[in-house]
Amino acid sequence: MMSQSVVELPSALPAAIFLLPLLAGCVVLAGKSFGSGFSRWTAVLISGAMTVIALVMAWQVLGGAVLVTWGNELRVDGLSALMAVIVSGLGFLAAVYSIRYMEHTDVQSRRGIVAPGRRIDLFYALLLWCLGTMVWGSVTNNIIMLWMAVEATTLTSGLLVAFFWDRRALEAGYKYMMLLTVGITFALFGCVVVYAAAAAMGGLTGREALLMSEVRGVAGMIPAGTALIAVSMLIIGFGTKAGLAPFHPWLPDAHAEAPTPVSVLLSGVMIKVALYAMARTVGIFFPTLPVITLFAVALGAFSMLLGVILALAQDDLKRLLAYHSVSQMGYVLAGVGLGTYLGVYGGLFHLLNHALFKALLFMSAGAVIHATGARRVSELGGLARKMPLTCLAFLVGGLSIAGFPPFNGFMSKLTVYLALASAGMWWAVAAAILASVLTMVAILRKAYLVFWAAPAGDAARWESVREVPATMWIPMMVLAALCLLFGVAPGVGYGLLHQASMVLANVGG
Amino acid sequence: MNALPISEDLVRTLSLTVVITSVLVVELRRLKLSAVAYVFQALLIVALLTSYARVNHALYWWAGTALLTKAVLIPWFLFRYIRKTQELEEKPLVGFGPSVVVAAVLMIGFFRLTHSQVELLAPSPLAREEVFRTNLAVASTVFVLGLYSLLTRRDAVKLVIALCLLENGVHLSLVSLAPGLSETALFGIASEVVVTVFILLYVIEGVYREFGTTDTFRLRELQR
Repeated sequence: MMSQSVVELPSALPAAIFLLPLLAGCVVLAGKSFGSGFSRWTAVLISGAMTVIALVMAWQVLGGAVLVTWGNELRVDGLSALMAVIVSGLGFLAAVYSIRYMEHTDVQSRRGIVAPGRRIDLFYALLLWCLGTMVWGSVTNNIIMLWMAVEATTLTSGLLVAFFWDRRALEAGYKYMMLLTVGITFALFGCVVVYAAAAAMGGLTGREALLMSEVRGVAGMIPAGTALIAVSMLIIGFGTKAGLAPFHPWLPDAHAEAPTPVSVLLSGVMIKVALYAMARTVGIFFPTLPVITLFAVALGAFSMLLGVILALAQDDLKRLLAYHSVSQMGYVLAGVGLGTYLGVYGGLFHLLNHALFKALLFMSAGAVIHATGARRVSELGGLARKMPLTCLAFLVGGLSIAGFPPFNGFMSKLTVYLALASAGMWWAVAAAILASVLTMVAILRKAYLVFWAAPAGDAARWESVREVPATMWIPMMVLAALCLLFGVAPGVGYGLLHQASMVLANVGG
Repeated sequence: MNALPISEDLVRTLSLTVVITSVLVVELRRLKLSAVAYVFQALLIVALLTSYARVNHALYWWAGTALLTKAVLIPWFLFRYIRKTQELEEKPLVGFGPSVVVAAVLMIGFFRLTHSQVELLAPSPLAREEVFRTNLAVASTVFVLGLYSLLTRRDAVKLVIALCLLENGVHLSLVSLAPGLSETALFGIASEVVVTVFILLYVIEGVYREFGTTDTFRLRELQR
């Protein structure tokens, strides 16, 4: 079944990459006496170390190895390595961005989850745990542990969403935790059915049936009816967490109300981890149940269109971006769900690109909010001269998400279009292109209003606005450069993306 | 008729009572009584697990974990929280009379359906045998009742209790579907629920303080 031989390389790195932040989170929470600088620099340092580990793992995977730990309990192949790099890399940039952001008066003066003195420590502890659980989900090979990791990301991020503890934040936090937990319970049912079926029909032992790499080999023996029940449960469960329409209503609330560095991680990374979980588990049944393909593409197309239509009417900068996440996840699903090599490649490439440009857009929206204290497009205007770097960053992000050449979104969307077209799904291509045009209209119009148009209200209000500090704009510039790099030279990511696509597409036939 | 050292009558009685307690949990509008019904259900589940454990000894461990998490920790959080806020659940979307009818129809219909169609859900020979077959039907019925109450209730605390019902359904199904699951996985699944309930109630307490209500329909700040 595997087209290339796999060298299993025992390694401690997959364990280190998620245990490190989990432990560091505990230390940060306990290390009150070290002062507030301790927690933020620990977060930066640890997320930096995670990025290095992830890159080393990716390097080894590129050499043709699959890293295994604890007797195949953790398993890093191309797909896991790609996810680990995305989670850690963006985690690092978000941590750097948060250094000054969290000093803002808003953070100190708004009602908070705990007393102001403890707030920063708690923030970074939760942030580290959140990163740790996301990476854990990316490297585990055990289907129940994958479920647990995804649920754990909800638990660690739930309090971050409700961090400001006022009416808006609490409402968002409540909805977030409630809806996602209900959704994820469906996924648990699905995982258990997969496990039971694999153990009974595939003749695997209890321990083997938990390991996704083993279950894959016996997927053909699982009856179609059972597989269909499991797949529906998994799609509802992980689909809710991935923010796909029609399971999306929690997403704009949560992503908009969380502190911006958290929004960056929620929209940039966390929904991808859920989609990754979905691809891993549902992907087991790709060869035996071709109907999944049609369903996934249809769900993706629906998500693309509904997300962008809802985004058109948004006045709140962060809600606008959040709705675009619903739409963009549709492209990722349509590509990955297609199951062909080209489709999976395009989907994963868009997953990577969306992580980059959505993080960039959220960071620049956060910079605008940080500098002006306002977040409604209708209040803002004419900021291009005051905040040139933020303006540039937002523009690059906007052009990328709209699929404008030469930026990265263009390349990955094009790959998805081609994949859909070569599968004969012209209706999906039409939906994807329409959604892309609407995205361009929605985002560039808002960019114009915020940065170039004359402010609607009192123009003097924005007189004293200044560009944000370097620790905020440097991560933005790094992301903007990456958006351009992956657009101009899409081959840069080819090695890892190819390995990752082979993992899923191999199964797809 | 069966070679398993389990009294089928006992399991039947316990299973039936589990289903009935689910209906009570859903329908009782006094939150305390609803939580009491939940504790009662938890104890029944522990009893069920203990009797299944005579076939599969690993389940003793599961029974112990369930006792600690479902019958002690979660009710403790619930009671502590209910004391701090309101006694009576916010009016649900469906009135008492119709709701009882719907719950009863769901209960009987879904139980019969899953009991006769068990093969679809569980392709293993063990799960098709009696007691495990009944268990799976009970599990999915509890799951559906939990889902029904999640969809029709508007009180945040009641929704947390409904969520616990949903989880109980899945956890019961593990007995039939995943008898060989490792202790670590079982412990992880059980403790995850406890943490979820704790954090959710903590957030709801904040909601109650800010909004003065636990009516989720009045959480409309973000739609303005």
